[in-house]
Amino acid sequence: MSVWRRFALFLSIMGPGIITANIDNDASGITTYSVIGARFGYTLLWTLIPTTVALIVIQEMVARMGAVTGKGLSDLIRENYGVRSTFYMMTILFIANFGTTVANFAGWAASMEILGFSKYLMAPLGAVFIWFLVVRGSYRFVERILLVACLLYFGYVLSGLMSKPNWAEVFSATFVPQIQWKAEYMILSIAIIGTTITPWMQFYLQSSIAEKGIKKEEYKASRLDVIIGCSITDIVSFFIIVTCATTIFPLGLRINEASEAALALRPLAGDYAFLIFAVCLANASLLGAIIVPLATSYYICEAMGWERGVNKTFIEAPQFMSIYTFMIFIAVIVILIPDAPLVFLMVLSSVLNGMLLPFVLIYALSLVNNRNLMGEYVNPKVYNIISWATICSIAVLAVLFLITFLLPMEI
Amino acid sequence: MSVKEHIKSYFHIAEIKFCELYLDADFLIPKSQAFIARINKMPFFGELFVSDLLKKPVLDPKGEELGRVRDIVMVRGEPFPKVSALIIEKKKKLFNLPWNDLNIFNKRIISATVYHDFLHSYNYNETDLLIVRDIFDKQIVDANGAKVVRVNDVKLEGFDSEAILIAVDVGMRGIMRRLGVERGGEDMMRLFRKHLPYNLISWNYIQPLEPKLTKISLTVPRQMVSELHPADIAEIISQVSHKEGASFFKGLDVETAAEALSELEPDVQAAIITGMDTNSAADIIEEMPPDNAADVLSDLPVDKAKEILEQIDKDEAEDIQELLSHEEDTAGGLMTNEFIAYPPDLLVRDAIERFRKDAEEVEAVYYLYVTDSDEKIMGVISLRDLLLAPPDSKLSDIMKTKLKMVSPATDEIEVAEIVSKYNLVAIPVVDSEGYMLGIVTIDDIVDRILPPLAKRKRRKV
Repeated sequence: MSVWRRFALFLSIMGPGIITANIDNDASGITTYSVIGARFGYTLLWTLIPTTVALIVIQEMVARMGAVTGKGLSDLIRENYGVRSTFYMMTILFIANFGTTVANFAGWAASMEILGFSKYLMAPLGAVFIWFLVVRGSYRFVERILLVACLLYFGYVLSGLMSKPNWAEVFSATFVPQIQWKAEYMILSIAIIGTTITPWMQFYLQSSIAEKGIKKEEYKASRLDVIIGCSITDIVSFFIIVTCATTIFPLGLRINEASEAALALRPLAGDYAFLIFAVCLANASLLGAIIVPLATSYYICEAMGWERGVNKTFIEAPQFMSIYTFMIFIAVIVILIPDAPLVFLMVLSSVLNGMLLPFVLIYALSLVNNRNLMGEYVNPKVYNIISWATICSIAVLAVLFLITFLLPMEI
Repeated sequence: MSVKEHIKSYFHIAEIKFCELYLDADFLIPKSQAFIARINKMPFFGELFVSDLLKKPVLDPKGEELGRVRDIVMVRGEPFPKVSALIIEKKKKLFNLPWNDLNIFNKRIISATVYHDFLHSYNYNETDLLIVRDIFDKQIVDANGAKVVRVNDVKLEGFDSEAILIAVDVGMRGIMRRLGVERGGEDMMRLFRKHLPYNLISWNYIQPLEPKLTKISLTVPRQMVSELHPADIAEIISQVSHKEGASFFKGLDVETAAEALSELEPDVQAAIITGMDTNSAADIIEEMPPDNAADVLSDLPVDKAKEILEQIDKDEAEDIQELLSHEEDTAGGLMTNEFIAYPPDLLVRDAIERFRKDAEEVEAVYYLYVTDSDEKIMGVISLRDLLLAPPDSKLSDIMKTKLKMVSPATDEIEVAEIVSKYNLVAIPVVDSEGYMLGIVTIDDIVDRILPPLAKRKRRKV
């Protein structure tokens, strides 16, 4: 008991930065990295470094805001920019996050299928489990499950090492940028940024920092937490790419989904690599499916001033419970429809996420530079430059995404 | 007369005056000079929502546009805050239009008695209290419903010659009005044969969280907040930012604060106490039962805890210090050292007399313990047995000697099991030599096994 508690305590000190960043590698993230590794080998590894820098800068900014103001991002947007901006942002956030939830359930269903379970059984079971876990379970329990589940991500590191990559090649590809002027290459390289930096993370991280009651005096520890968290995420991404690049890429197999990557690994890297990939995908999908609907219902209700809390009933907190329940159960129904256009829905949700992100970041940036709110903790100049560069490249990404979405290209 | 009735009677008077004027306006317009004088004093009839006013043009006597409404300045008034000026915007410049210079003020027409040249320009400053900047979209405490809500809109009402802030809108209607789709929403709801409800909270039930807004809040909510259940107060605090929580907490009286503090989660407790000056923190800690006080202090930085302990009454401080020496998840960590213990040869009659006095200070009074002159435990008497016993018998005659007890190192789960098995309300904690150290009460055990809602993080995932 007390060892267990000490262990949990240790992890809770590690805190929000690490949990947020880990859950960021959800089903769509893992899909992107697997596809990148399988199609382009090691050549896109270098993009992880600028992406990590951008991720750290943005997450740090949001964490600082949470620590200094003690409020969530949706609170601050509502209090400083009024109902209109908040309402539209929350509407898009809801749609985009609903898409993300669908993507995560799709990942869960796919991983269950390749592990030999029927998705028609496992997807509803997963949804009911998640719903009960949060609505009927205790928070301490949920938190412990999440923290342990985060450790499972290290399975990817293991599978990367097991695939015995050519390290010299890996390192040169990581530190020496190389660009191929192909449409697919360009799109996938920006997709890395898009899947790593998402709107809901910003809301989630800032609220969990505010929630934890971290004060500006303790904020240095929080910064470390964010930096470690972001680095771990990208180390996991790195190993996913390396695994697929070492095993699948040389054979020229085309894969479109993370579950296909797992299947392709079986004859190439053995049953263990297959199992690790399948189980980690299931884990990541389920984590995403727990957090995203929950986080969405919280931000929306917080911004709108509706009663919220998982220990409330449908009568006490009608909006909160409806949003949460709707997201989970409709998402499952969508993926259970035979021949549902799942890939289309996933792309749609990433387009929406991509379009929303610049706005979220612009709001965040103008809030973090507001002296009335932040006092001496406003952004240093370097941060503003990096943030604006990120916003611009994400805006370009959003436009590009939109073009590929409207004019379907061969990718 | 209660304050509520007082306010009601105010409104009654206002209503009568309102009717008189209404008659004036309908029938006496051409002749009555007096009426013109009165209408100058009273530019505002009825009630309206602030969001309906925003961006409306303000006209000068010739019908030219002076600017558009940007914000409204409020000042303290009796019994409700009142409008003191409009902030209007023309060509990106802000001007201050005092309330007394207004002629007509309703949701269709706002006109002033002055021309543009007489207007003073306005710069935002922190001391003014502005409806849009400081009240709109902010969180406030609804002391009537014991919850935190967000202001969607603000309702003004005519009263004498003033416009006063009477209520805030916290419902869906307010959001729709701000988005400009209130009528559309109403039509939608009518399709479902439902009515879009008004969700207004009267200003006298509101407790602002911003220290600045407390200037215009009434004195009534302070009392109302103190009447809330400490667990409700704790839940309110756990729902707002730590700054707002701390400022809300500081407004409570010492007794309520002490009770609310025990209901809060350890990190929130620590944050609030660390943010307070040592004296007021010590006052609150002193008011708490020693076991709760020890829980709070054990989560503070050592220096701060020491400082607070030095400020506290000596006996109390010793009790707390003793409790601090035990592990948190044992009987020692759970126990309180406030209990009632009498010598065995005391008569029941005298015991009841003494009990009346002693019970005032002690939290758990359901058992009396009988201890010898060395403070070694001899027996226990339930309150019920004491009251039913013949007044002339000695305590030693009626006490039960086969009593359940635990040692300070007993694990909390084991304590819970014993208490549950023997249906006890409290259990004595006794050291190896039989000295009574304290008691563990059932409410502390329940709290430990099933933490109250406010102690669980609302979103700790």
